[in-house]
This record gives sequence, structure tokens and C-alpha cells, in this order.
Amino acid sequence: MPSPSPLDGPADGLAAASALRAIADQLEAAEVERAMRAGWSWSQVAEALGVTRQAVHKKHLRRLLLAQIELRRRNGE
Amino acid sequence: MNRLLAARRLAPVLVAWGIPPGVAHQFEIEAKQDGAKVVEAEHMLLALTAISDGEVAALLHEAGLDHERLESALTEERRRTLAFAGMKAPDRALVAATELESPLSLGTSAKAAFKRALIGARRERHRVHLRTKDLLAGILEAELGTVPRALAIAGIDRVTLASRASGLK
Repeated sequence: MPSPSPLDGPADGLAAASALRAIADQLEAAEVERAMRAGWSWSQVAEALGVTRQAVHKKHLRRLLLAQIELRRRNGE
Repeated sequence: MNRLLAARRLAPVLVAWGIPPGVAHQFEIEAKQDGAKVVEAEHMLLALTAISDGEVAALLHEAGLDHERLESALTEERRRTLAFAGMKAPDRALVAATELESPLSLGTSAKAAFKRALIGARRERHRVHLRTKDLLAGILEAELGTVPRALAIAGIDRVTLASRASGLK
């Protein structure tokens, strides 16, 4: 098969899937940070995202520490 | 090469391969300005259009591809891509988050461009030393993805430019 056009057809849809994935990641990072600044717990963020607490922790902890957000301890939830 | 491409600090690796330090540094600047976490092929091409003299600058100038034209083509590519899914690009402020200050690494499209550039350089000279021109060819040889989409939108003849860059004419 000759190389398909980089525009039109599946190329547009595949590019859109890739762009949306990047936007979803950026939006998640921004909103998790916003929630934690507002005092949400890891569990609340996880529940709202529909993932486990561990998953949120693993993905965002280092970044939130860098942002110097005061994170709630587990027993303070 | 894969080990080199995974190196923590990108710029020294690129410089060791023969990419001028200013250009290697510009890759990261372009990626950061785009809000990207990794350097992709479009950031490298943007950086190459920012070079003011030499063979690559002459080739790009002849093809009418300057920084401003490429940037607006990339913006239009993004608009068109998101419009396919019924979306507009979100405001930068909406998706602004604190980023880890880790050095940038090469994304998949950038690695692919480097691999093609190295293959081209070896074919011609039997040594692993890249000229910026080889890298330009490697970037332009991608047939699908953001760079060929943006170039098609800008009306740039990618195939001709790629073969000029690789010296095949």
C-alpha cells in the first residue's frame, strides 16, 4: 500500500486520539493540583477520577511536593 | 543508540553526535514553549527554522519554510485535529500545572527522526556523525504525524525538501 495522506481519513482521527490523550493528561495534572490546593484528600481525588488512591499518588506525588502544596496525611482524611 | 536516546541529559548527547550546541538547546526551548514534556519532531523542526545561516537555513529559506510559517501551520494542524473530535484547544491556563524540572527527553517522533538521520549519514559517509542537514532529512522523511500534517497544511513540498536535505536531489 502506498503511504496514505497525512491529512484526511484515518490520519485525522488518529491525530485527534493522540491530541486528546495529551490534553487529558494535562487536564488531570492541573485539576489534581487544584483539588489538592483546595484541601482535597488523595482518596477524594482518586474517587472523583475513578482510579485508586495508589494510582493518583504514584502519578502526582512528586509534582505536588515540588509545587509545595500542603498534602493531607492519610489519618487526617 | 537506544541507550543514548534514553540519556538523562539530552543536549550533551546530541552535541556529541554533531548537532551544534545552540540547536540542541533550541530543541528544548521549543518544546517548553509548546508546553510539551518531551521533544518531538515538530520542536526539532521549529528549532532548525530558527537557524540563521548555513546549508540548512538556505534549504529551508528556498522552500519558504520559516519559523513563523511553521508555527502557524502547527497551530492550524492542532485546530484541525481537535475539530475532528468536535473540540477546541483548551486555554493554556486551564491545563497549566506545576512541572517537574527534569531535563527533557526525546519523544517517539524525535527518536524516529534521529534514527532515519543516522541511517542517512551512515549510507553517505560510513561514520556516525550527524550534520544538521541529516537531521532535517530525518525529520522530513516522516510520512505521517504532526510534521507532515503541518507541512501539508502549509503547502510545503515535503518530499522534495527531504530529498534535497539528504543530498539525493
